[in-house]
Amino acid sequence: MNQLQHSRKIARKLRAHRIFGGIKPLALKARSLRSRIMPTPIPEMLILPLLQHQGSPAAPIVNVGDQVLKYQLLAAAEGPLSVPVHAPTSGEIAAITDAPVPGHGKQSQRCILLRADGVDNAIGLLLLPDHRALSHWQLLERVNAAGICGLGGAGFPTAEKLRSSIERGIELLIINGAECEPYISADEALIRERAAAVVSGAEILQSICLADRCVIAIEQDKHDALKQLRHSLESSSVELLELPTKYPIGGEKQIIQAVTGLEVPHDALPMDIGVLVQNAGTAYAVHDAITEGKPCISRITTLTGTPLQTPKNFEALIGTPVSFMFELCGIEESRHTGSIMGGSLMGLELVRTDVPLIKTSNCLIAKSRAEFPEAKPEQACIRCGFCATACPARLLPQQLYAYSRNQNLEQLEQLNLADCIECGACDYVCPSHIPLVQYYRASKQAISSRDQQRQLSAHWQRRFQFHQYRLKKEADGLQEEERAHRIAPEAAHQARGFSRDKARQEIAAAVERVATRRRNTIASSRESD
Amino acid sequence: MTIALTSSPMQHGQLETNRLMLLVIAACLPGVGIGTWFFGYGIIINITLAVLAAMVLEAMLLTLRKRDLKFYLSDNSALVTAVLFGIAMPPGSPWWLVLAGIAFAIVIGKHAYGGLGQNAFNPAMCGYLFLLLSFPLQMTSWHIPSDAIVDAANFSPLGWQGLRQSMLLSFPFLAADAATVQATIDGLAMATPLIESKMAAQNALLTARDTDLPLFARSSDTGWEMVNIGYLLGGLLLLYKRIISWHIPVSIIGTVTLLSLLMYAPGSTSIVGTTYLHLFGSATMIGAFFIATDPVSAATSNLGRIVYGIIIGVSIYTIRVWGSYVDSIAIAVLFGNFCAPLLDHYLRPRVYGHQRAPLLGEKRRTG
Repeated sequence: MNQLQHSRKIARKLRAHRIFGGIKPLALKARSLRSRIMPTPIPEMLILPLLQHQGSPAAPIVNVGDQVLKYQLLAAAEGPLSVPVHAPTSGEIAAITDAPVPGHGKQSQRCILLRADGVDNAIGLLLLPDHRALSHWQLLERVNAAGICGLGGAGFPTAEKLRSSIERGIELLIINGAECEPYISADEALIRERAAAVVSGAEILQSICLADRCVIAIEQDKHDALKQLRHSLESSSVELLELPTKYPIGGEKQIIQAVTGLEVPHDALPMDIGVLVQNAGTAYAVHDAITEGKPCISRITTLTGTPLQTPKNFEALIGTPVSFMFELCGIEESRHTGSIMGGSLMGLELVRTDVPLIKTSNCLIAKSRAEFPEAKPEQACIRCGFCATACPARLLPQQLYAYSRNQNLEQLEQLNLADCIECGACDYVCPSHIPLVQYYRASKQAISSRDQQRQLSAHWQRRFQFHQYRLKKEADGLQEEERAHRIAPEAAHQARGFSRDKARQEIAAAVERVATRRRNTIASSRESD
Repeated sequence: MTIALTSSPMQHGQLETNRLMLLVIAACLPGVGIGTWFFGYGIIINITLAVLAAMVLEAMLLTLRKRDLKFYLSDNSALVTAVLFGIAMPPGSPWWLVLAGIAFAIVIGKHAYGGLGQNAFNPAMCGYLFLLLSFPLQMTSWHIPSDAIVDAANFSPLGWQGLRQSMLLSFPFLAADAATVQATIDGLAMATPLIESKMAAQNALLTARDTDLPLFARSSDTGWEMVNIGYLLGGLLLLYKRIISWHIPVSIIGTVTLLSLLMYAPGSTSIVGTTYLHLFGSATMIGAFFIATDPVSAATSNLGRIVYGIIIGVSIYTIRVWGSYVDSIAIAVLFGNFCAPLLDHYLRPRVYGHQRAPLLGEKRRTG
């Protein structure tokens, strides 16, 4: 991709562009937006997983029994793409052990268990005089030390993303305030109440990544948040862009398309076209880290669902158990049939509620049977094409479905299954209740395990061929030796003590023998004549 | 683990396949109603017969195929096939003709291919074409209560007399003697809903134009246009409800309009017909909105749908004007069905972040 070409395109006036597909699900944000953001009380025990982000886990630097203070570093970043973990409150390290965590794969993970003492003593925070006086590398170091990862849900280490953006050169920084999941209102509440801090965070992020322009993109139906943003943006160079309300416009690829009209090439990253996207919550965390020196120990999380009497947004401490959060909202256990971490369309079903809230947990939904009825049985696909109309990647979900059922992996690859972002829009609109995303996940799994299998078999084939080659070589060597032994064992034996003189003697002797034989032959022939 | 885990997304839309099918049937009602108003009970008898037979046949085949009867019957797909088939059949067709057609539609057109979602061809049109090829005479005459086309003022095809005549036509065994049936049939032959300008409809419409018949007069001369407007309204309802996308109907109607505009020679004695006649004097509307849009057998990508519509539009026009078959919609739609898999393969949308859509046999670029 030609960087210059993109630059010219982005430099044009930014406006809201259309994204491909998309749906307008019933939004249920209002119920959690009735109240202001509330701080959570300190739970008895905090569970702090060492891996709350994409990458490698942090390494604990405290021991069991240690007394720690709020904001104290508990685990340092180790290895590539790692993010440190800090103490959300003061207390004693109760254990460093495997504990259940929310997640797709392994249900259990290394965690630091912190027993809170309830005093909430904090270490003195290193206050900076003015962040504007610092170089962008110094700021980046602060972001890195504050343990910030993408708070929108993806959890990619923010410092790492900024670092590679600086290296690549960024044209446009998009602050993603488009929260399209129908239940989540965390970013909306955050912007509504703390717009100035979000704008400040956006400015800091812009000064770190050296982007020419910075845009805060937010849906046009978030009126209160928009009003506050406009007010805070009056004296700022950061621009505001209103986007249509559509799911999944808050996805990274989609918001880039909505803001710039450009698509991220399928084999490239946003920074390859000069764009960097950061979540509004991340910008807020960066603001806290730079201007107040606070590491990332809390986040805004939406609690919602009909079993909760008072759904609202919390500023929750990282490591707070989910069940504790639910109780704060007055959960009716009789109606509670399950829990989701994240949104209703891309979230994760929780097996148990004693798992902690982590840095990427933007929402907790308590399910009830009325609101989330059991999945209806799958009917035949009538190829109505609603899914294709809804797909933001412009795939053909109905064909992907047919090939998924047939396990035709080649066709699935050709139809670009890899570009599916699993947003669930196709699944949402499907009138036949086909769990399309499940089919695609299974097919992606099948493709990756087939590729692994292929790699493995190629590896073993190489090993086997080498083995055969080695055996053959050995056998050839052995044969050579054997032949030598058979023909002239002594000669072979003597061959080891080879010398030039001996050879000459032998040659002379041989010549002599031949000459003698010839003479004898001539003599005898003459006699016979 | 004891908790049954669901995977995202956990929230779903409201529209369901069985409701969608019912909406399609609801959208047919204006056309059916207007047709009945003008031409009597024949259409309703056909639809009722087809629906009853389709449900029984569907139940039998599902049992044979060891499927859950209640679950699959309630998807209402057989219902839609039967209604569309019933509408396409000439009113006044004998009962056995309707049964034979719907049996072919359900057994061969649908279940032989593997049931709903698997059929390559529109089942209703399969059944219709089967009849057209096997019983050309019965399929090209449209019997309606005689007085409906004779006198517009004094006779209602919806009265008792009309019902009696319609029942006699559909169930000849009800008549006391053969002469009554013969008398009913005589002089009643008209074009079927799918038989077009080259047949009676053209003349009827032209006559109506010449004699300044009021549009709403209950006469078979103007009935045609009103029926088509009824299906157009139903089609617009489907569009509004987003059950169908605009691509197929617009490209079919557009193609037919364009061709008939280009080809029409005023004053010529040829049978090419005016645009108005092509759109409203024939079965274009029901074909474009209800039959060609059957999603299972149509192309699925938007570009594919447009090309699919153009193929059907061209076929409709050419078969009508130059073809030897009297019917065009069924053949045109089935021809479109033939092309649909190919269109689906080649006319894929460009995927986000890709330069262009991948083609057949193209090596995937790695990395």
